[in-house]
Amino acid sequence: MSQHLITLMILLPFVGAILQAFVPNPPGAGRWIALAASVLASVCGVALVASLQGQTADLQAIESLPWIGSFAISYEMGIDGLNALLVLLVAIIFPVLVGYEWNQKLGRRGVHGLFLLLQCALFGTVCAQDLFLQFFFWAFTSIPVYFLVAIWGGEERENAAFRSLVAASIGNALLFAALILIYYSVEPHTFALKELAGGRFSARAFHLFGSEFPVSGVAFALIGAGLALRIPVWPVHGWFTQIAEEAPPSVLVAFAGATVPVAIYVFIRLTYALFPEILSSASGTIMAVGAMNLVIGGICAVAQRSLRPLLAFVCLGQVGFMLLGIGSLSSAGLVGAVYQQFVVGLGLAGFALLLGIVIDRVGHADFMSGGGNKGERSFGGVAVRAPTVAIVAGIFIASLLGFPGSGGFVGNALVMIGSYSALPGLVLLAGAAVLLAAYYLFTMYRHVFLGKPRAEGAEFKDLSLRERALILPLAASLLAFGIYPKPLLELVRPTVLTLLSTVK
Amino acid sequence: MSDFILILPEICLLLTLIFVIVAEITYHGEQVRWVKATALVGLGAALVQTVVAYQYGPIQVFHQAFAVDGLSLFFKLFFITLAALALIASAHTREIPRSRQAEYCALVIASTLGMCVASSASDLLLAFLSLQFVNILAFFIAGYGKRSLHSIEAAVKYMITSAVGGALLLYGLALLFSVTHTMNVYEIHRALVAAPLSAEHTLAILMLVLLSFSFQLGAFPMYFWMPDVIEGAPTPASGFLSLSVRAVGLAVALRFLIAIFAQPGSAEGQWQVLGSVDWTNIVALISAASMLIGSLLALRQEGAKRLIGNLLIAQTGFLLLGLLVLDQIGVAAVFYNLVIELFSLIGIFYVLAYLLEEFKTDRLTGLRGMMGKAVPESICLVLFLLTLIGIPPMPGFIGKFTLIGAAVRHDRLSLAVVAILSMTLSTVGVARLAYSLAGDLRMTVAFPAASSVKRQLFLAALIGPIVLFGVFAEHILNWAGKSVSFILW
Repeated sequence: MSQHLITLMILLPFVGAILQAFVPNPPGAGRWIALAASVLASVCGVALVASLQGQTADLQAIESLPWIGSFAISYEMGIDGLNALLVLLVAIIFPVLVGYEWNQKLGRRGVHGLFLLLQCALFGTVCAQDLFLQFFFWAFTSIPVYFLVAIWGGEERENAAFRSLVAASIGNALLFAALILIYYSVEPHTFALKELAGGRFSARAFHLFGSEFPVSGVAFALIGAGLALRIPVWPVHGWFTQIAEEAPPSVLVAFAGATVPVAIYVFIRLTYALFPEILSSASGTIMAVGAMNLVIGGICAVAQRSLRPLLAFVCLGQVGFMLLGIGSLSSAGLVGAVYQQFVVGLGLAGFALLLGIVIDRVGHADFMSGGGNKGERSFGGVAVRAPTVAIVAGIFIASLLGFPGSGGFVGNALVMIGSYSALPGLVLLAGAAVLLAAYYLFTMYRHVFLGKPRAEGAEFKDLSLRERALILPLAASLLAFGIYPKPLLELVRPTVLTLLSTVK
Repeated sequence: MSDFILILPEICLLLTLIFVIVAEITYHGEQVRWVKATALVGLGAALVQTVVAYQYGPIQVFHQAFAVDGLSLFFKLFFITLAALALIASAHTREIPRSRQAEYCALVIASTLGMCVASSASDLLLAFLSLQFVNILAFFIAGYGKRSLHSIEAAVKYMITSAVGGALLLYGLALLFSVTHTMNVYEIHRALVAAPLSAEHTLAILMLVLLSFSFQLGAFPMYFWMPDVIEGAPTPASGFLSLSVRAVGLAVALRFLIAIFAQPGSAEGQWQVLGSVDWTNIVALISAASMLIGSLLALRQEGAKRLIGNLLIAQTGFLLLGLLVLDQIGVAAVFYNLVIELFSLIGIFYVLAYLLEEFKTDRLTGLRGMMGKAVPESICLVLFLLTLIGIPPMPGFIGKFTLIGAAVRHDRLSLAVVAILSMTLSTVGVARLAYSLAGDLRMTVAFPAASSVKRQLFLAALIGPIVLFGVFAEHILNWAGKSVSFILW
């Protein structure tokens, strides 16, 4: 049983998605099945992480089955310090999403089914130890998101969903090209990550249109660009701000909270394992892109008067932070980046959930009048009417800012320490970005929660029992792992040290 | 006598055809008609005969005019399954009226007979005649919606292009015959090995023949008929034509190109070009142009059927990737993709036929919000489309990977780049169709269309094999590989 936890964790949401779609009336039965599938899968995930042994960098809970032998493709799953936290993250977020869409009027089975499929695909991406399998799951994640935005989005959903899909297909195509290049550059051809690891591409080259290119450089660039198109990374983040405007809040939770960290994970996994020699020369570029992300995200966030674009730019900035950690090539920085994936995922998921609660109450998300917003569409003084919302929002914001005692502090501090040794100048920039973030997030907080209650704020109801149940796992894990991050950090550290040892 | 045993599948098909025709002309208004059932039983028998024929090994019969080998048996299985699925799919539509179902049945079976003969023909004259037979029947099938102007236009277009294509093929074959004085592909091959052709002569023959094949496959440069015919023909007929005409072209092209203009290469399971003209480069050009043109045209279409018609051009380009690398793995990849395409295309046109009937339009704007009205059908359509263009998690992706991989393995990286680009463009084109289905769900969700158990069963019967092809990809590829190694060269 315990040997097949990963498979169980991946299959349960898939089976649940199909079952809940076909279960006959009464309609209530479908959502219980969906919730049960999601929760059971998550229980498997948590049990898996809990059963991991620390102090080792080896893959654990390995499952291996030949799939397409003639192309050396196998069903190979495993978990180590790098992906354990993401299993935990996905496990926490997705049951919350099913619960969040509990009373969806329009095609509830569709929403639940797509979220379950997304959960399945993300678990698969995170655990896959075979390049083909990983791409298989990862490319699939773009499809549920497309339909979720296209069907349940706002006014301009067609445009937003279409742009996101175009970006995602280009990204997937680039990644696919990298995959083919990698596969055919090694003899014997293989997709198994453990066999591809260790700089096997350093001296290889290929010919295209008459000129010669190095395999590792091109594949690295393709992977980087392919993943960058799937998540908000400067300069290709235009589609993401549009998604943030149009997508239903639950999709933002899934996207900002789970898909983005998973993309970062795929980047770490592939680049550190396959191209250690390129990484040391590309680290400057990675850090520069990260810094640009921080700066652009920060400056744009200051100008926002609505929660939706604010979320987009906060996400942009946080991705920048993680890239800084990845590019620093130091143990503290990389551990910080891995830990940051987890806490930023939770923080952004919480932020997006709050956004959903606000939209649910007042029908829009503009917290400040002026600018592009129409005169009286702001609100304030929510803290008086709904103190729980205000407290919970405070926790998420504190974590995103990296306040001591919240989960974000650990990640932020580690990234800062790690990148200081690599590029001290950039750390100053990062510090400035954190200060800027404090400014705009507190401005937002002040406008929404403090001040005089306006007309709309007056009817703001506090959290219902269901909403409390949804927010509890997110807020509790943020607080718990902020105060006591040791078990998770100890899980991550050995793997990270092993990865770094190949780079140097 | 043993010759007859080996052509039992064709005999079965012929008998079925006769039964269907006799049943039709002796029909006097009885309540119960068994035409379709008869046809399906006949097709089933032919299928069994084909499987049985595998054990007799590669062999030539009727004075070497007829080859029973891996290639022909694979294609026979393919064509007979196609005919059975096409007949079942056409039963649920009003586009082909009940009173004329028997006629349609006869046309499909006759066409299948022609295709089976064509895939076995190792005599070029036989191949030419059976191709023409298939094309004439395809002309009737395309024009089956007699009252629709589009259908008539499609049929006429198809007839004219097929006449041109047939003429080009005949010129090419005549040139070849004038040198070698034989019509048997294997003897031609031997003659060419003994006395190589001049480069000009080879080039002329190949140009004529490849042009003709490009018509048959719907590839660049003679692809113009494809979107028109797919759009104009009655939708179930489009489903049949989209596969039959292309697959039979591929069967003949494979035998012609590899048995005549290639010879066993240095390694096991590989071939190399015979003669001084490297025709694989011409095929590479055709393939790349088809992939690009098809997927680019698909971006701009306003009608669902036309969009699929254009995607088919790109799909043909993909299939050619497996042919031009001249090795067994490449051809096995072509077979795998054909099998995947069989189920996905039949499914796509089946659902489109239903949507057309229910909502009277196949414009993308007219299909708005369909997912709310016909939920299982729309979801299946999306799955079929993903399978066709090769997006994970559908097994079409494995197929595309094997084809692109074949190109990369033979250092045709630029072709692989074009293929990946074409996949991306196709995704965007299909996304427009998918969005038009899903988009305005909230407006239409109140009026679901009547569901039908029969329809859902048929859809499940199409999705099921597709999923199995993904899970057991290894076995299918192995079987395709065996079919290839069993070909007479």
